[in-house]
Amino acid sequence: MRSLNRRKKLLLLTVGMGVVFFGIYGLGILIPEEWVAGSFLSARQPPSLAHPFGTDALGRDLLLRTLKGLSVSTTVGLIASGVSAVIALLVGIAAATGSRWMDGAISWLIDLVMGVPHTILIILISFAMGRGLKGLLVGIAATHWCSLARLIRGEVLQLRSQQYVAVSRKLGKSSGWILIYHLLPHLLPQFFVGLVLMFPHAILHEAAISFLGFGLPPEQPAIGIILSESMGYLSAGLWWPAVLPGLTLVLLVLLVDNLGEQLQSLFDPSSAQE
Amino acid sequence: MKFWKFQKVFLAALFLAALLTACGGRTGDEGDKEEQGGIRDSVVIAIGSEPETLDPTKGWGHGNSPIVQSTLVRYTADLTFENDLAATYQLSEDRLTWTFTLREDAFFTDGERVTASDVVFTLETAKAARGSVDLTYMEEAVALDEQTVAISLSKPTSIFLNTLASIGIVPEHAYSEDYGRNPIGSGPYQLAEWRPQEQIIFTANENYYGGAPAIKRVTVVFMSEDAALAAVQAGEGDVAYSSATLGKTLVKGYHVEAIPSADNRGFTLPMAPDEGKTTENGAPIGNDVTCHLEIRQAIAYAIDRQLVADMVLNGFGRPAYSENDGMPWNNPEVKIETDLDYGRKLLADAGWQDRDGDGIVEKDGVKAEFTCIYPAGDSVRQAVAMAAAEQVLAVGIKIHVEGVSWDEITERMFSHAVMMGWGSSSPNETYYLYRSQGALLDDFYNPEGYESEVTDHYLQAAMEASTAEEANGCWQKVQWDGSVGTAMKGACPWVWIVNLDHVTYVRDGLSIGEQPIHGHGHGLPLIQNLEEWSWEDQTGAER
Repeated sequence: MRSLNRRKKLLLLTVGMGVVFFGIYGLGILIPEEWVAGSFLSARQPPSLAHPFGTDALGRDLLLRTLKGLSVSTTVGLIASGVSAVIALLVGIAAATGSRWMDGAISWLIDLVMGVPHTILIILISFAMGRGLKGLLVGIAATHWCSLARLIRGEVLQLRSQQYVAVSRKLGKSSGWILIYHLLPHLLPQFFVGLVLMFPHAILHEAAISFLGFGLPPEQPAIGIILSESMGYLSAGLWWPAVLPGLTLVLLVLLVDNLGEQLQSLFDPSSAQE
Repeated sequence: MKFWKFQKVFLAALFLAALLTACGGRTGDEGDKEEQGGIRDSVVIAIGSEPETLDPTKGWGHGNSPIVQSTLVRYTADLTFENDLAATYQLSEDRLTWTFTLREDAFFTDGERVTASDVVFTLETAKAARGSVDLTYMEEAVALDEQTVAISLSKPTSIFLNTLASIGIVPEHAYSEDYGRNPIGSGPYQLAEWRPQEQIIFTANENYYGGAPAIKRVTVVFMSEDAALAAVQAGEGDVAYSSATLGKTLVKGYHVEAIPSADNRGFTLPMAPDEGKTTENGAPIGNDVTCHLEIRQAIAYAIDRQLVADMVLNGFGRPAYSENDGMPWNNPEVKIETDLDYGRKLLADAGWQDRDGDGIVEKDGVKAEFTCIYPAGDSVRQAVAMAAAEQVLAVGIKIHVEGVSWDEITERMFSHAVMMGWGSSSPNETYYLYRSQGALLDDFYNPEGYESEVTDHYLQAAMEASTAEEANGCWQKVQWDGSVGTAMKGACPWVWIVNLDHVTYVRDGLSIGEQPIHGHGHGLPLIQNLEEWSWEDQTGAER
């Protein structure tokens, strides 16, 4: 390993984490529905070799259900944070390059959305959209773009006052040309890091809202559902349906969070060459 | 909703803690009495749901005794009747007029005597309220004198005593709009305090004509089943309503009583094909799979009910073959044996075959699969539905189980199977479940759309019967008369699966009397015989 410099190590680590993450994701998607169905004859079994995570009150294998649930949650997280990041990018650029009036309006909107607690806003939106996957996606996407939008807006404002942008403008380049050739290349690292760091938020919110019963329907294997079902059996001594899937969720979120930080230090010019 | 549940657990714990401190304080005042007697005279009961009202004319006590009020007649533990407020009663020759003579020693807790005019007032109010008490067939009630009341009916009605047994008599002089929150009655208990969403406290009616009850103070708190179990594990509360899934947990100082109930669970299966029809409210009617008799019966024969009761309900349940197993008006003929081969044969004879090898049978391009809905959050219904779905897969029928809200069930129950529950200590439930007039109404009784002239004929005959025995014979024929009926081997509108036991944690040393078979309800049926409860020895008095 000595031959590798820090940047290469970091790159390997990041790729490794990415592989683990997409491995879990792919595994979850590949598991057929029938496997998760289980049998009521094997209900409430503690962890064993046959069922490493045990089985729940309906006899479903919790390891399979957790993996399946993680892939559902990941899909929700990816789509919601992707949409959210794109909104943030567009809104951020619009605010910084548009008129003063538009900037004011967008800043006000950002303050407004950030002023309401996320969970409550997601519950309201999800409820209004008739719950289910759609409501959850829209709810998460509509609430998570604010801080990234604000960051991008600041970045664009700063970039616009740079010399080379002013020179381009004097040379007669259009705003669109400047946006594509000067602004976007600078914004992309911010965008991707923001996207990755938004993902754990999205996934945790998905689990929280489903846990509270406003998100996915109860048959869907999602982590929030598994956890909220396990609540009813905690007092009867069934610890494994709560602890093991919960831990898995925490590990996945930590993994992605760490991945985001690695990406940041790779992309960020000030730390990229360390 | 989960959020509230969680909060409730917390609140309940806090509240119980506060309550017990309060109780501790009170024992100081009442200490003398308790030490002399050596036996506690109060209980704390945790049940699942709060009553909406304590007004019998608006539904309180429907299906079980109202404890604050008393009724003209009441059920015995074996579901026959004994006199309560009535000293004697008789039925006229034409079976249209009932005459009741009231006992003379019955007083409301405000000291006024219970008179015939109170009975008249109660019945007329209940009839006008059109609540859960159906008195549409009552012509009028007349007070002949202070102690005698004559009730005339528009048609002979054999279940009239069942109806009377669930209507507590309210005082005419003390009845107002908020009676449901401030009831005065002549029952064994009186309401001392009601804090909505928290608790109701009943105290014994010392002047009760049936003798003052042994338990003087009853606190009923409302909490979810898992919160109640947590409370019991902490040694708080004396009686806690629980569920089959939690009942296996052993708690020191408590024992589990599994009280048999008519509280049943089963599938309602839409009987009409989907022809695009809708109800008045626009809910679609009909299902192209469950409309076939052989499908419904194959499901009925494929389910191993004992296995479901043992595995899903932890043994706290029994196989169900009808809406009223074990009642005097149940027909033992409704019982069927699990028989997968017979189920497969039924399907094959009707032309259902698995042609594409996926394990599911088809006929005329229709796959034998459909969705069964249940109220999301009801873990017992979910578990029963999923276990049943797993079993019927063996005959080639696929049931998708989906949890939805009650609102959605109201919209989808005419076109989807529903994991439904009923159960009552009165045969009139059979009447509502199967009468043609009640088909496809929003009241959850007959969402499958069962209609049959033969059944209507027997139902009518049962209602008009002059004796309970005669009526029971007719009720039995509704289910199976030898060739047709509502039973699963008949038209099979329902596939009944299990009767739930009402699992209850009871502190050692407390006797909860001889519980009658419970109807459908979340813990309320438990308190209907409160006056029979007592502490047996001193161990229960220790805190």
